[in-house]
Amino acid sequence: MNSQRSSMKNNKNIMIEEMSKELPFGVPENYFDQFALQMEEQVGFKKSFARKVFRPWMYMAAMFIGVLLMGQIFYTVNKNNATNNAENYESYVLSQVDENSLAEVYVEEPTK
Amino acid sequence: MNPTEEELVHQFSQPNRRAGAFSVIVRTYQERLYWHIRKMVLSHDDANDVLQNTFLKAWNGLDGFRGDSQISTWLYRIATNETLTFLTNKRMRSQSSIDDVEEVLLQNLKADTYFNGTEIQLKLQKAILTLPEKQRLVFNMKYFDDITYDEMEAILGTSVGALKASYHYAVKKIEKYFTDDDE
Repeated sequence: MNSQRSSMKNNKNIMIEEMSKELPFGVPENYFDQFALQMEEQVGFKKSFARKVFRPWMYMAAMFIGVLLMGQIFYTVNKNNATNNAENYESYVLSQVDENSLAEVYVEEPTK
Repeated sequence: MNPTEEELVHQFSQPNRRAGAFSVIVRTYQERLYWHIRKMVLSHDDANDVLQNTFLKAWNGLDGFRGDSQISTWLYRIATNETLTFLTNKRMRSQSSIDDVEEVLLQNLKADTYFNGTEIQLKLQKAILTLPEKQRLVFNMKYFDDITYDEMEAILGTSVGALKASYHYAVKKIEKYFTDDDE
């Protein structure tokens, strides 16, 4: 910009077409988003809450978390079932054997 | 995907879809129109007021829009009229000479939190403020936005020949302002 200024001072025939056309103005942060919402409100336009608040990436994240939770639940249930099955089987076997036979097994074992 | 101009015009005619179509229009054109207005009124607060008026006029005038012109042309026309009305009212309120309003605009610009220009850019704005209002409008549209003369003709209702002449004289005046100031 300094070189632009000095060249302008040196050259009497200023060519504005050669100057920067960048506008020297700014706007408040999120101005245009806020403005659009304000106008929509003024004309009574209401987007559904979900559309206003949730963005597509939020849907994706929610879906991903859902899949993880489902996997976790599935894994836990399966694990519990396996444990229960083993316990049930043990109870079943024990129920089929009378106490005397069981005592025989435990008593005879050391003599082998 | 945003609807086409034809689809938007069709949606205007359906009361339950008008507000939705209007929302698309606001979001599509608000920035362009804001900068069009801001270059004329210079301060952000004033530009914000005029932009609101522009869209409210557009909303109230949706029934009158038959799709004879492009939506952008129609909106630019409303924005231009609102801007010129704003400047006229400001002139009347200030109850001072015509030149004083330009001075007020310049002072507002310098005090504006959202002006972040360099010395040269401020000088260019000062030079532009020396132009008559309509010429300023033509200069801004051509110089900063590079809007074609045909589009400008549709928006401003001035012939292409007159617009070209107006821009040519505006450029000469601004260049002279810079040259005289440096002497």
